[in-house]
Amino acid sequence: MTPLLLSLLVLVALYGLYFAARTARVGGPPGEFADGGANLPGWAVMFLLPGLAVAGLGVERHFTLVGRFGLQASHVSAGLVLVAIAALLVWNRLWMATRVAGLFTPGEALGRFYDSVALRVVVMGLTVLFALPFAGHILSSVSVLLEAATEGLIPRAAGVWMIAIALAIPAIVGGWRATIMTLAMYSVLLALLMPGLTVLTEITATGPGFPAQSIGVADGILWDRIPGVLQNSAGIGKAMPPGGIFTAAAISSSAVALLGIVFSPAVLYLGQTAPAGRGLGVSTVWLLAGLVAGGFVLGGPVLAARMSDGPLALAGSLFEVEPLAGAGLLLLMMIGGLLAVSFFVTGGSILITRELVLTYLFPKLGARQARLGHRISLGLAFFFVALSASFAPLICAVGASVALPLSVQLLPAVLGLTFLRVISRGGVMAGLSIGCLIVVFTEPLGLILFESLFVELPWGRWPLTIHSAAWGLAFNLAFVLLSSAATLRSPDRFQRDRLHDAVEAALPPRQTGGRGLLWSLMLLWGFLAYGPGAILGNSFFSEPIFTDRSADLGVPSLWVWQILFWLLGVLLVWWFAYRVGLGRTSAERIKPITLGEPEKRRTPDWLAAGLERVVKKAS
Amino acid sequence: MIENNLFDRLDRHGLVMAIWSPAAFLAAALLHKGVTAGGGAWWIGAGFGVLILGYAGHVIVNAVLKTRFTAGETALGLVTFAVGIVALLVTVLVAPSETVERVVLPVGLGLVSLVVAVIAYLVIAFGPRGAFERFDVIRDNNLRPASRLPHRGGRR
Repeated sequence: MTPLLLSLLVLVALYGLYFAARTARVGGPPGEFADGGANLPGWAVMFLLPGLAVAGLGVERHFTLVGRFGLQASHVSAGLVLVAIAALLVWNRLWMATRVAGLFTPGEALGRFYDSVALRVVVMGLTVLFALPFAGHILSSVSVLLEAATEGLIPRAAGVWMIAIALAIPAIVGGWRATIMTLAMYSVLLALLMPGLTVLTEITATGPGFPAQSIGVADGILWDRIPGVLQNSAGIGKAMPPGGIFTAAAISSSAVALLGIVFSPAVLYLGQTAPAGRGLGVSTVWLLAGLVAGGFVLGGPVLAARMSDGPLALAGSLFEVEPLAGAGLLLLMMIGGLLAVSFFVTGGSILITRELVLTYLFPKLGARQARLGHRISLGLAFFFVALSASFAPLICAVGASVALPLSVQLLPAVLGLTFLRVISRGGVMAGLSIGCLIVVFTEPLGLILFESLFVELPWGRWPLTIHSAAWGLAFNLAFVLLSSAATLRSPDRFQRDRLHDAVEAALPPRQTGGRGLLWSLMLLWGFLAYGPGAILGNSFFSEPIFTDRSADLGVPSLWVWQILFWLLGVLLVWWFAYRVGLGRTSAERIKPITLGEPEKRRTPDWLAAGLERVVKKAS
Repeated sequence: MIENNLFDRLDRHGLVMAIWSPAAFLAAALLHKGVTAGGGAWWIGAGFGVLILGYAGHVIVNAVLKTRFTAGETALGLVTFAVGIVALLVTVLVAPSETVERVVLPVGLGLVSLVVAVIAYLVIAFGPRGAFERFDVIRDNNLRPASRLPHRGGRR
């Protein structure tokens, strides 16, 4: 299988190089290298968003979890519907704010809206977190799989460097536009391989699979049930809750953590550089909530049940039936990771260069010099991610564990920018601080540090089976609402109102009826799909409550529940996108404003003095 | 036509490639499974089905972006089709009779279905007469201006 798999990976790399070369040959203005002229191909953004959501879920990780915990873990994939709703809510308004006030990066948007340098630094920190440990951890995982698939022919470290180089060259040559176009193809490949290989596996497999056979989980794990609403557990690492870790609270909080992918700076930047049009609606309703979430809800348990011995064993048996299918399964496991690494490192490097280097260090650079700066920093970013993935995989894993939950802590800040004008700078900073602290201390990063330095903490990871993202967000929101209530008449409210008024004036006329019904349905759906009501699905269809008899469905009741609420979720996303009108962006009615004072692009004195000292010493 | 600049052309090319690359991989896997031992007509049919879906996707792209197949795409399609026919003929000539019996009919039908798909597209896009005129070189070979008069048969 090794030559075939390597040939496929080489073809994937050549695809990226081809489009990078084509983009470079078209020779657009140098200033468009970093943002594609804020007019990326609509189809590429449309295909890429679902791919990024899947990358956040983690293809191999998800199948491993479903293989270990059964349908309770598979329930998390229905969280992709929630990601679609969040993307609709955030991207539409952020896109408008970008055009109205000329806020071209997430850090600039939040920093200037709240008039806070600290918030810009926080966003930059998150950018680095996604670009280095998060991407490094994924790169390391993909390389581990590559090493196993090639039976040691390509060791992990070599795999890391080869993949990093293969992803770096297209980004350096073609910039943001070429990267997005290439990654869009990865997304399409992912979307076709997932159902294609599931069907192929089922047709060619010898024995019965899911749902005729149960998923082979360990003793004591309830494979076809959610083990309660909440479990009184100190958390992973301290105690293992009976029946499995994915309680209703764990599922809903994991879905909240999955939202972190939408609030990650690089994904917000993708939304800002997307073109006007109806692509967002198509992407979220039909591709993400429909095709991808459906693929995982329906096909996830089926494929995971066949992977009881791991993806390599299944790839081996598929290879005997059809070599391309075996190699394709391994490609499916890797392509989501490659997509995430390429996207977050390229996006992160571009954002850091724009926000830090070109704004503060070298504000007077011309467009061509700025493009060179971007290329150099892209090279450095891929070098550092490969360095950290090859030599510090454990540190990367620990850092990666907090990336998504920390990113979710930006939710109140982004909501303030897009919808809730009452949210103030003080509230956002207070909420962010407490939220981030709680996330860090309910994930390995804080736990390991604190317990190594001081004393053993009484809780572990996910205490009470609630994901750190939800712990942090609950306190974050409480602080934001309290602080914002206390600062309703603060002087910075004026600028926030100006932006909101300008954005609302630029929105196309839309139907306003049915909002109450929509939000009521949304709450009811959330309660039953992810909330405490989800445990009703354990036996709702197999032991109906209106009769003493039990129904012989032939499939687990929970699976039917998941499919039902996935379909209802698609309906809700459709409502948001097309009835409320969030799925469409238009620049027709935009009247640009200048938010606050014009930005001073000047190197701070301490930085200028430091630079001068270095230059003098060198000369 | 929205192909008014190089970036628009590149964007369209990217979209077409994003559709065809995964579709070609899937079709190759299915066709390979179909023609090798242990395969069968259904696998070959599924492979050609994926190719027709890819073609439908390409036609939709053309319709949405208000473009047509480029000369390069047409040439590549024709060459690939010709290679398919030649491969089929070579199989008939040199392969064992068991393989020929198993492969020729489904692959031949698959190739015919591709032709039908192309003709269906031409008829839907240009109408029966327009589709025929795209190949009607005889009508175009009279260079005299009078040949363009309607009563002399010129309908251009």
